[in-house]
Amino acid sequence: MDRTLIILGIESSCDDTAAAVVRQRPGQRGEILSSVVFGQGDLHAAFGGIVPEIAARAHAEKLDIAVEQALTEADMALSDMDAVAVTAGPGLIGGVLSGVMCAKGIAAGARLPLIGVNHLAGHALTPRLIDGIAFPYLMLLVSGGHCQFLLVRGVDSFLRLGGTIDDAPGEAFDKAARLLGLPQPGGPSVEREARGGEARRFALPRPLLDRPGCDLSFSGLKTALLRARNRLVEAQGGLRHQDRADLCAGFQAAVVDVLAEKSRRALGEYMALGPAEPVFAVAGGVAANKAIRTELETVSQEAGARFLAPPIALCTDNAAMIAWAGIERYRQGGRDDMSLAARPRWPLDSRSPALLGSGRKGAKA
Amino acid sequence: MPPELPPEAPPAPLILAFDTAGAHCAAALLRGTRVLAERILPMPRGQGERLFPVLEELLAATGTDWRALEALAVGTGPGNFTGIRISVAAARGLALALGIPAAGVSGFEALACGRAGPVLASIDGRGGRLYLGRIAPGRNPPPLSTRLDALPAALPEGFCPPGCTVIGHEAGRIAAALGCASAEAACSLPVAIGRVAAGRALEREPRPAPLYLRPPDAAPARDAPPALLP
Repeated sequence: MDRTLIILGIESSCDDTAAAVVRQRPGQRGEILSSVVFGQGDLHAAFGGIVPEIAARAHAEKLDIAVEQALTEADMALSDMDAVAVTAGPGLIGGVLSGVMCAKGIAAGARLPLIGVNHLAGHALTPRLIDGIAFPYLMLLVSGGHCQFLLVRGVDSFLRLGGTIDDAPGEAFDKAARLLGLPQPGGPSVEREARGGEARRFALPRPLLDRPGCDLSFSGLKTALLRARNRLVEAQGGLRHQDRADLCAGFQAAVVDVLAEKSRRALGEYMALGPAEPVFAVAGGVAANKAIRTELETVSQEAGARFLAPPIALCTDNAAMIAWAGIERYRQGGRDDMSLAARPRWPLDSRSPALLGSGRKGAKA
Repeated sequence: MPPELPPEAPPAPLILAFDTAGAHCAAALLRGTRVLAERILPMPRGQGERLFPVLEELLAATGTDWRALEALAVGTGPGNFTGIRISVAAARGLALALGIPAAGVSGFEALACGRAGPVLASIDGRGGRLYLGRIAPGRNPPPLSTRLDALPAALPEGFCPPGCTVIGHEAGRIAAALGCASAEAACSLPVAIGRVAAGRALEREPRPAPLYLRPPDAAPARDAPPALLP
């Protein structure tokens, strides 16, 4: 904490090309001087999901432009930076690799230290960027590609209390939207549709609630939704608008119930550690869902922990969180050299058994 | 009035050229068209980790600092999609940080480097496919992706004009199929990329972009949405 740090962050692990400049003065919270995000939604719209090669192609030709824009908006030059931080995984490898190579070029050309950041650490450390909270805190990371409860004990110390054993909720929302003919991304469109729906009309399952622990599953819920839809289509030749709203409401309520109950259990484990200032924080695009947010806040308050949900722009993928994680790592002496590798799989907690992906390639995240 | 001095030719720019579009990590340092150093390392994978160490070794061997460079030249493919992006993204990052131009040079232009007449340049497209591009003075048709056994029928009229020399992957067999001559490339890939760039108006170069020649492997969503009833 001895001096002011200004770090350029670069993120390209999924379908957003992002660059940001973040400053931290000694003993103060982070200041986001700029945060540029170029989305790719239109490019993937026709395919009903993110196509890795399409994403990689877009990143490779936008990264340097995003960096230029972030520097301009921050009114700074590369010579004002103390380091370049870049997402080095986990994620879609074509995009991660493009980001890492662009960052290496910037680091070499501007003689700056290079810091490879774990994308999940970027999300998990965001509560400290915005609120300066102390370790340990409980984190629910819930997005299109991830779902896990993390006990954040330090900049480099994460314990996974549980996570999804199949799909992430964001994926499930996308799939639900596709099944019901709603636009992508599925999260916002299902949420909008659910407002006019009756959640109790369809009995959808709450997977894994009957088992102990904090692991989650969303694949069966997806299938149950498909079956309910097919029954309606068979009986009446299609879906009425009210059917669709009711299915969305039922689906969302099931996701809310599962996340709430598992959060209750994770909070139980966390509170048993007796943290001085307990905090339960969420991050990831699914944390933008108001029904989920509201319920998690209630669960958190019941457990006696402060609930912290960063603004939506910092919940979804962005580079400010990567720059911030870079600042945290830099202060601990973290540096990478020019052989830094892009990693498609990179679990934050490498000691807990893998939930997703195994064998030769190891755990996914 | 003092006598007018003849205009001096500006010194040739110091150019760092590199390419990872195939199973290699290749780089060269040139002063204009003159080669100062080059490295070509065969490498089926891992170019993302090796490229910068290789570039730094090349610079160190010639006592050159990154900041002495005046231009970058980068191979834009066609070839391995990931490999092309590795070099293009690196070149864009370097160009931004060094404030110098980066010229994108296709593998076809590199194969034709140093030849005056028309060239049909061929690059391995894996799985029995070929990327073919014609490089000749004036306008050239868009390059294409085809198969050796589809020649000559697969080529549009006039793609391979009389007197064209085939250079590159399977050049001998392509030349036999098309009834023309074949030849070896005049210089190594990274040197050729640097030399092609040296012949360009570098300060007006657009940002380098990959030359894929094949659309991404992606099919539109299969599950049709249900009919919506009134």
